[in-house]
Amino acid sequence: MSEYTYINEREYMKSNKLRFIVFLLMFSMIAIACGGDATEETSEAPETTEAPQETLAAPATTAPTPEKLVIWAEEKIAIALEPLVGAYESAAGVDIEVVIYDFGAIKNDVLTAGPAGEGPDLFVGPHDMVGEIVANGVVAPLDLGSIASDIFDVGITAFSYGGDVYGFPYATEAIAMYYNADLVDGVPSTWEEVKAACDAAGTELCVGAPGGGGGGDAYHNHPFFASDGGYIFKFDGGFDPNDVGLDNAGAIASAEYLDSLVKNGTVASTDYGASMTAFQEGRSLFWMTGPWARNDAAAVNYGVGLIPTFNGNPATPFVGVRGMFVSAFSENKVLAQSFILDFFSTVDVQAAMYAQDPRLPATKSLFAVVEAQDPIAAQFAASASNGIPMPNIPEMGNVWGPVGDAMLIIRDQNYGTNEDTGVTVNSAADAMKLAAQQVRDAIAGG
Amino acid sequence: MKFSTFVRYLFLAVFNSFIIYLVPVTIAFESWFLLTIIIIISFLINITYLTNRLKPLKWITPGMIFLLSFVVFPAAYSFYVSFTNWSTGHILTKQQAIERLEDMTFTNDNQKGVEFDLYILQDQDLDFYFLADLDPDKLLFGKAIKKEEYSQVFYATHEPSFKDLNGNISIPDEYYLLSAKEQIANSSELQDLALLIDKNTRVQLYNISVFGASSGRLLSAQQKYSYYAEADILYDNVNNLECNLGNRGNFICDGETIDPGWRITVGTENYKRIVEDERFRGPLRIVTFWTFQFAFFAVLATFFIGLLLSVTLNKESLKFQKIYRSIYILPYAIPGFISILVFKGLLNPDFGLVNEWFAPVYELFNIEPINWFRTKASSRTAVLLVNAWLGFPYMFLITTGALQSIPKELLEAAKVDGATSRQSFWRITFPLLLVSISPLLIGAFAFNFNNFTLIFLLTSGGPPIVGADVAVGYTDILISFTYDLAIAGGRGYQFGLAASVTTIIFLIVLLISAISFRYSKRLERVYGNL
Repeated sequence: MSEYTYINEREYMKSNKLRFIVFLLMFSMIAIACGGDATEETSEAPETTEAPQETLAAPATTAPTPEKLVIWAEEKIAIALEPLVGAYESAAGVDIEVVIYDFGAIKNDVLTAGPAGEGPDLFVGPHDMVGEIVANGVVAPLDLGSIASDIFDVGITAFSYGGDVYGFPYATEAIAMYYNADLVDGVPSTWEEVKAACDAAGTELCVGAPGGGGGGDAYHNHPFFASDGGYIFKFDGGFDPNDVGLDNAGAIASAEYLDSLVKNGTVASTDYGASMTAFQEGRSLFWMTGPWARNDAAAVNYGVGLIPTFNGNPATPFVGVRGMFVSAFSENKVLAQSFILDFFSTVDVQAAMYAQDPRLPATKSLFAVVEAQDPIAAQFAASASNGIPMPNIPEMGNVWGPVGDAMLIIRDQNYGTNEDTGVTVNSAADAMKLAAQQVRDAIAGG
Repeated sequence: MKFSTFVRYLFLAVFNSFIIYLVPVTIAFESWFLLTIIIIISFLINITYLTNRLKPLKWITPGMIFLLSFVVFPAAYSFYVSFTNWSTGHILTKQQAIERLEDMTFTNDNQKGVEFDLYILQDQDLDFYFLADLDPDKLLFGKAIKKEEYSQVFYATHEPSFKDLNGNISIPDEYYLLSAKEQIANSSELQDLALLIDKNTRVQLYNISVFGASSGRLLSAQQKYSYYAEADILYDNVNNLECNLGNRGNFICDGETIDPGWRITVGTENYKRIVEDERFRGPLRIVTFWTFQFAFFAVLATFFIGLLLSVTLNKESLKFQKIYRSIYILPYAIPGFISILVFKGLLNPDFGLVNEWFAPVYELFNIEPINWFRTKASSRTAVLLVNAWLGFPYMFLITTGALQSIPKELLEAAKVDGATSRQSFWRITFPLLLVSISPLLIGAFAFNFNNFTLIFLLTSGGPPIVGADVAVGYTDILISFTYDLAIAGGRGYQFGLAASVTTIIFLIVLLISAISFRYSKRLERVYGNL
């Protein structure tokens, strides 16, 4: 015991010297840390410089470091922007930082980082989050001015909320119909002809569409209830959460028609994965999905056509639109919106982005470029032009579940009386009425 | 100087320098709570490691800090959030929400869409002036002023002299015309300036164009909303309405709630909603019941399979024992989300291998192929089967360890006394096993109670409970139901509601764990003396 304390004391004496070294070390580290900080601080305060003195020739820009814009973008957009922003940076004298972000994570992080003062100045995102980020006050309106005329109407509609436009749409996407070009010449215009084509080709399945096979999916099923007068929310300048059209005559007629298509084997009961493998293996003649799947579809010799009509009406797919937003917490909104209006929206930048991430163009000028070189993209664009944008109001959160479930009942023919709730769904009409009721209740219940 | 001492001080130095770096940062962000925590923690760490008097604390402190920051703090924070209305439309603080509202502008209807070239000028005193080229008769010029100066009259004047005969802009000598680059360098100041045209209209810089002429837009001279702090009311300048404070963290104008709102505490409202809302109550009963079933059977199945394997492979005479053991641990080494997605494919009723393999069996007994994921029974079975696959290696691992720690003398003594191997397993091995393993079984129960990954990736809760008032499925457990209710479905995010369900789940798990630990302690008392 005594030996132990002795050693400890000796250690203690030694450690006095050591402490000095340690504190010296600490001090140098702090100096390094603060040093880094200090340079940053000066870089962040250009406005304080009282630049021009008496002479007028001296411009106001003797500010040592430029203004800075932080952009959150998904990887492909960031890669496309990276080589281009240099030109804007030097012409404008700004410092632009493009941060690569997971597309799906942007909304959540903008909602939390913005109010905390750590958000970006500009960010990309899907249009269906517009209502939510506006309600949360994290996005600033964007007056598109003269460039609005270059944008397809569906893009403007998608970003309109409460009378204002909140983003610049740069890409759209919508589903269409892939066909196996070795087995069929194209997509017929009616479902009866589709059925006949499948019978002639003799494939195991006819149309593989996601949204069945246990995987509820209101997105892919949208044409099946909304092509003949049905709708989720009525659009009249903005989407009206109190006008639900899931059980109107048109929606029910379409759903009943889908029911007959499922019963006669035209539309298979497949989820996304199953519909994909069936098409890739040549077991289905058609595949109903979007342009993101072109690489997957390339397993066979494929072509793309419009989804067949419903009661003579063109199929209306859901249109998703991607856009660039200005954060409400940006310190420099004028600069941020200038970046969009003056640089990001130009056809050169848009074309570079298309080269990286070939989604359907949202601008007419880019469409003109793309149409000539990519006929398949043009088919998807034609399909999108018949579609409607996904409602961008926050109430849409109440819709995906009920509608996906109702369509799943029809697609999987899962009719009957539920043992737990005692509710009977024996027809497509019942399923649509149930979904409509669930959506209305949910909206009423907040 | 011993090496260990040196390392200790080195770590302490790095830690302290990090803390000292954090202090100004937290002060800058005005997060006083975090600052207090940081100071307390660094004080504790320094005291502990700089003296030799607090030996036991040296071992406990790091663990305690991690426990506090990753267990206690999140739990306490969720508990706090469950008493707020934190949700879409209510994520800001009141001050931030008011700032947002006061930032809103509007344009009078007849002036909407008017776009014109705007030139930025500076005089000798470095004051900024705007020159707006609205139309040939309106080349408006004037001092650009801040919001606070609007009341002083600085209306713009028509200055045709600023254009030469060819219609190009020509600036008098006493002014300096800013280039786009210079505008951008001053943009954070310029964005707050406006040129007042008349009482109701202002010109604001809108687009600084590097490649063309900068442009401006007309806005109403008034902001959309003004906030009066004394009365705590908002005034709607567009419709001339007085908006009062609602009780939900919103202003209410003419019966309409104004977004954005802010976070307030709402007491037990979220809890009341879960209990009282008709829409939640029905599904909640089904979901809660299934959650208990799932957690119980998940633990039972994995434990049974794991125990069976470990007992079988525990024979010392077994050849290649280590190889067998490694093989059975393999599923544990594959990330769960991959296994789950693979199983999702395997169980696909139409193309999955499982139904393909079982096709002869179905034929033999002349039964319909099982429609995995599409009926209540089949999807619940599928969830349990996949979980058994994912979970048995863990049970196998811990039971193998526990089996090896049981003294051999006991079993030999039983053998001498004439016990059969079955008797000695059930009377000696199994109870002793339970003593050491029951805490882990409780842990496994708690884990499966919240096994969100499995449910979310395998079935997403489906198949739907047809006719339930909210979209909910038969394999939804409480945590995935919460997710559907408060995060994925509904009007945006409802963190308050989600936090209250989470708190309830936390309490349930806490209660079950407490009871089970009590029971396992009794086991220990009975069998611990053996």
